[in-house]
Order: sequence, then C-alpha cells, then structure tokens
Amino acid sequence: MTISHNLALKDDITMHTDPKTASSKQARLQLSGVSKRFGGLQAIDQVTLDLEPGIVTTLVGPNGAGKTTLFNTITGHIKPDSGSILWKGKSIVGMAPWKIARLGIARTFQDLRLFTHMSVQENVLAAMETRSWLWQSGGHAAQKIRDEKVAHTLDITGLADMAQEKANNLSYAERKFLSLARTLVSGADLWLLDEPASGLDPPSYDLFLKLLRDQVNRGVTVCIIEHNLDIVVGISDKIAFLDQGRLIANGDPREVLENPELVAIYFGERKL
Amino acid sequence: MIAYLLNLGVFFCVNAILAVTLNLIIGYAGIFTMAHAVFFGIGAYTASFVAIHFTSSLLVVTLVAMLAGGALSFIVALPALRVRDEYFVAASLGVQMLGVTIFSEWKSFTGGLGGVLNIPLPTIFGYEISSPVEFFILALSGLVLVVVISRSLARGSFGRNLMAVRDSESAALALGKNVAAIKTLAIVLSSSLAAIAGTIYAYYLSFINVQSFTVDTSVLIMAMVIIGGAGTIYGPIVGAATLMLLPSALSYLWFLPPTEIGSIQQIIYGLAMVLLMIYRPGGMVSSGGKDAR
Repeated sequence: MTISHNLALKDDITMHTDPKTASSKQARLQLSGVSKRFGGLQAIDQVTLDLEPGIVTTLVGPNGAGKTTLFNTITGHIKPDSGSILWKGKSIVGMAPWKIARLGIARTFQDLRLFTHMSVQENVLAAMETRSWLWQSGGHAAQKIRDEKVAHTLDITGLADMAQEKANNLSYAERKFLSLARTLVSGADLWLLDEPASGLDPPSYDLFLKLLRDQVNRGVTVCIIEHNLDIVVGISDKIAFLDQGRLIANGDPREVLENPELVAIYFGERKL
Repeated sequence: MIAYLLNLGVFFCVNAILAVTLNLIIGYAGIFTMAHAVFFGIGAYTASFVAIHFTSSLLVVTLVAMLAGGALSFIVALPALRVRDEYFVAASLGVQMLGVTIFSEWKSFTGGLGGVLNIPLPTIFGYEISSPVEFFILALSGLVLVVVISRSLARGSFGRNLMAVRDSESAALALGKNVAAIKTLAIVLSSSLAAIAGTIYAYYLSFINVQSFTVDTSVLIMAMVIIGGAGTIYGPIVGAATLMLLPSALSYLWFLPPTEIGSIQQIIYGLAMVLLMIYRPGGMVSSGGKDAR
C-alpha cells in the first residue's frame, strides 16, 4: 500500500468521524518550551506542542530523536530541565508518574511491559484497580461491574478466548492488544502509545484502527510514536516531526510527509 | 510418639507461617529479602519481653509483637524502595546481620547471646495453655489465621497490585499504582504476620536465643518458599512440610548410620534443590516449568 493510497483512505475515515465534533475541549495537553539534557546529549530541545482532544498526533523522527523521552517527560518518568507541561490547564511537571497516570494520562511501552505472569483477565483487572489498598471497595456489586467491564474490554480487543491464559503465553499481536486493553480499561483521556501497530498483520491492524478511532471519536486525545510511514498516514490527524530533540515540523500529515527535506532526514540522508 | 509428632507439628506450623508470610514479599511482590528471620526474632523477643514484664495474655502479647514487627519493617522497606534484585538481596543481608548483632548485644531486651529464659505460659481469657496438644492447636490456629489472611489478600486486588509491581514496576506506575506504598504495605503486613510465628515459638519453647534468628533461618524459609512454589497460595506450606519432615523421615531409615544422617540430609537437600530447579523451577505447587519465573 502506497503512502498516497493511505492518505486517501485516511481522508475517507476522517470524513465520517470528524474528530472536532466529538472532542471535549478539556482533554488537552500543552507542552511549552520543554527541554531535557542527559549529560552532553540534548534529548529534547525547546519542544512546544499541543495534543488536542479527538485528534491523533503522531510523533515521527529518526531513532534517537527524543520521541520516547518526550513520552517519559509527559508521564513524569523524567523531569524536564525547563518548560511547562499543562494537562487540562494544570501543570503536571514534577508530579510522580502514578499521580499523573491517575489524572487520566495512560501510556503503552514499545516493549509492552505486560504483567507477564498474570492472566489476561488479571492484567486488565489490575489496570482498573489503581486506587485499591488491601481490597477493592464496593463489595460484590462493584466487583460484578468490574468483571463486566473486563469482559467487554476483552471482547472488543479480541482477547475473550484467552482470558485465563498467562500474558506470557500470548502471541505478539495478542500481547499488543492486551497492552491496549489495559489502556482502554484505565479510562484515560490521553493515550500515549509507543509503536502500537508495528508488527500487526492486516486484520489485527484494522481492529486496532477501529478501536483507536472509536476512542478518538469519544474525545480521547491520542499521541502515537510510529516508524512505519504507511501506518503513520493511516492513523494520523497531525504529524509532529522530531529530530535531535527539536520539533521541526508539526501539522497536516500530507504537508509533513511530502516535505522532501523531512523525508531526507527521516531516511538518514540529510540533516537540517 | 504422639509427643514427638505434636512437637514436630508445632515447629512445622511456625515455619509454615514464616514461609507463607515471606511468600507475600518474595512470591507476590518479587522482593527477595534475606532478612525474614529478623522479624521472626523481633516477634519472639517482643513477645517474651511483654509476657515476662507485663501480661501473659496471648492476644495482647501477639498484638504488641505484630505492631513491633510491622513498625520495624521499615528497615527492609526503605532499601526495597530504592534498589531491586541483587542489590536489594545484598541490602537485606545487611539488615539480617544488623538484626543478629542487635539480638546478641542488646542484653537488657534480648538477654544477649544467652537469650531469654523462663517465658511464662500464655493465657487466653484466663485459660492457661500448657499441654503439647494445646500448643499444637494454638500453632495450627496461628497458621490457619495467617493462611486465610494471606489467601484473601493474594487473591484480591492487593495480590494483583503486588504481582503487577513484581512483573513490571514501570507499567504499574504508568497505570497509576503507587508502587512505593504497595511495596511498603506488603513488607509491613508480611513482617507483622511473621511476628505471630515468633510469639508462638517463644511461648512454646519458653526460651529463645539468637541462634534461631540467624541468616540460616532466613535461607531455610526462603528455600521453603521456592521449593514449595513462590507466588502460589499453598506452595510455601508444602515447602515447609517437605523441609521439616525430610529430616524426621530420614531418622527413621534404620539402615542409615545415625552419625551420618546430618551429612546425608545435606546431600539430599542439595540434590533436591538442584533437580527441582531444573525440572520444576516454579516449585512443587506450580503449573510446571512453562510459567515459572
């Protein structure tokens, strides 16, 4: 599938869904002048970027461009040296990762980091049980609601038949969907997905796209790191291009991907 | 013979309590502590101190011992929040050494190397527990209580939180889990429940000294957990039974020269451990090698 074909397909999808009508204006993440240096390496350099509700923004750039570091900075795993990060209008810089997560910011990892020795069902349940101490409140009634939610999530992610299987025993695509199921069930308004679609076969990719679009239409804000340009054009409403920690382009996928200078950087042929 | 079995039964229960409580930390939370015997000791010394100086009431003594075990567990919790894996094992060995030194030197509380003598018999609502049968029932009740508590915690959201932290701390954080609080709570709970074993032990023997709370005990309890099956509900009990009954069973083998039983026991332990790790790395109570960590 060519890039242009994919662009046409994407237009087709967005025509039906029109993210702006479904977006709640609330779930907006605003990065302003965010920088992070590791020793001699400027990992992120003055990045200013808005992640808008109902919009899929894809972070593109060569390896080492700072994409995952940017995710880590948003989620509190790394504290930026300077700059501000506002989530729903409030600063989240310096907050512990678990507190940021509880504000509705979920992320997946490139290496998935599933709870490998727990069952599929337990993985999803654990993603819901963030605030429990020794036990969950609400008794049997609440438990029933949680069970139903887990069952529904497993159903729509195609994992219902593997509910009792250990995460360790799943296939690659199933693991990716389990990672997505955990994000889905967490009820987050901002999804930061690190290469969620890489390595998926066409039917799995279609299911992934459907799941993602459903959530985007509900006003979820999505930011994706992706290397495969076919996938990038299939998914993105906006593309943010990072190189050596700097955001060098941000906007319409067509404009960004048809810019020969950016393409040259992406394929390692030239630096700006 | 009955007296012998009851005696064995009490020691089995004490060790099983220690294994079940250690399993909460090792098996579910994935924190490999080598200092569990310290909390066994804290429970035993606190219980004997309270029993000798204040009250013989079993409930009060147990409660105070549990509070002491839980409160002092921060010495394991602090390094557990900072370091993982082999670095934590080293730190917990330090805690174990520190514990043994304090047990040996703090004479006014622990009696030093000589230990604590003449611990009075426990009473429940005025009834004195004195016979071997009563002690066995007491120890068994303690074990049942600890198993019921651990089981309900491990099977619920707390158990899932622990396993989530064990399998991927960063993913647990990213899902909004307060990892530091979860780890601390696991260690506090495990240590305070381990103090129950210390209380029963101190009362039963009416004499305790530091020899029972050394690194050897910590290693033995860890072996019980791993051999039985870390991260399973009943594995540690099976592990405790195996390691407690094996020496007794060997002493009944008439063809073994009594003087050699000690070395044969060590050889069998060693061999069993190696074979088990090869063929059943998840322990005796596990679904086999496939899911083993």
